[in-house]
Amino acid sequence: MSEEKKVIDARGSACPGPITELSKAYRNSKIGDIIEIWATDQGIKSDAQAWAERSHNQILSVKEENGVIKITFKILNR
Amino acid sequence: MESNKFSIIMFSGTADKFIPLGILSQAAAAMGYEVNIFVTGFALLGFTKNPPILPFPAEFTKMAPDFMKGMEHANMPTWDKMLKEAKELGAKIFACSAMSTVLNLNKTDMSNLIDEIVGAATFLQKSSSGQIIFI
Repeated sequence: MSEEKKVIDARGSACPGPITELSKAYRNSKIGDIIEIWATDQGIKSDAQAWAERSHNQILSVKEENGVIKITFKILNR
Repeated sequence: MESNKFSIIMFSGTADKFIPLGILSQAAAAMGYEVNIFVTGFALLGFTKNPPILPFPAEFTKMAPDFMKGMEHANMPTWDKMLKEAKELGAKIFACSAMSTVLNLNKTDMSNLIDEIVGAATFLQKSSSGQIIFI
């Protein structure tokens, strides 16, 4: 099984839409996978942190370009 | 994920209160909490097959149209869509048996968001040693 990178486009979705999409992608992921979420709801910055802490996964990067927040996670725990 | 519990006693029957119900239920389910919702009081009317239009509290009626426009602008789903999403992630919704009797409602009169009609003791048991909020 190879590791995959999955992009979730949650732009325009209000809280808690982005974190819900992230949670669904996580349920279908494997250890080692990379998940990147794109969101425009500002809540995603702290919500991503809370989700990573709770699920014991890692945030690799947080970027913001033209109002789009892009957060990359590495799945360490299933 | 660590599993702990987040429970909501949904009592209020006004439209504004159903928004945090939807948001918190969906967020908690997405975060991997075991979510249990106990619907009682006039809130139960919102969970019937042909629900009445939920009113806004008197002090907010003037603001309601702008508020609804804001919700649309924010691309916010309706409360029942959020609860449906929460249920897909494992949330459970219970109707209060006492209030069901008071309002003369059977399981068949209720929307399919309701999983079961239960007594207060059952909900207390399901929610025990977790966080419980009252809306």
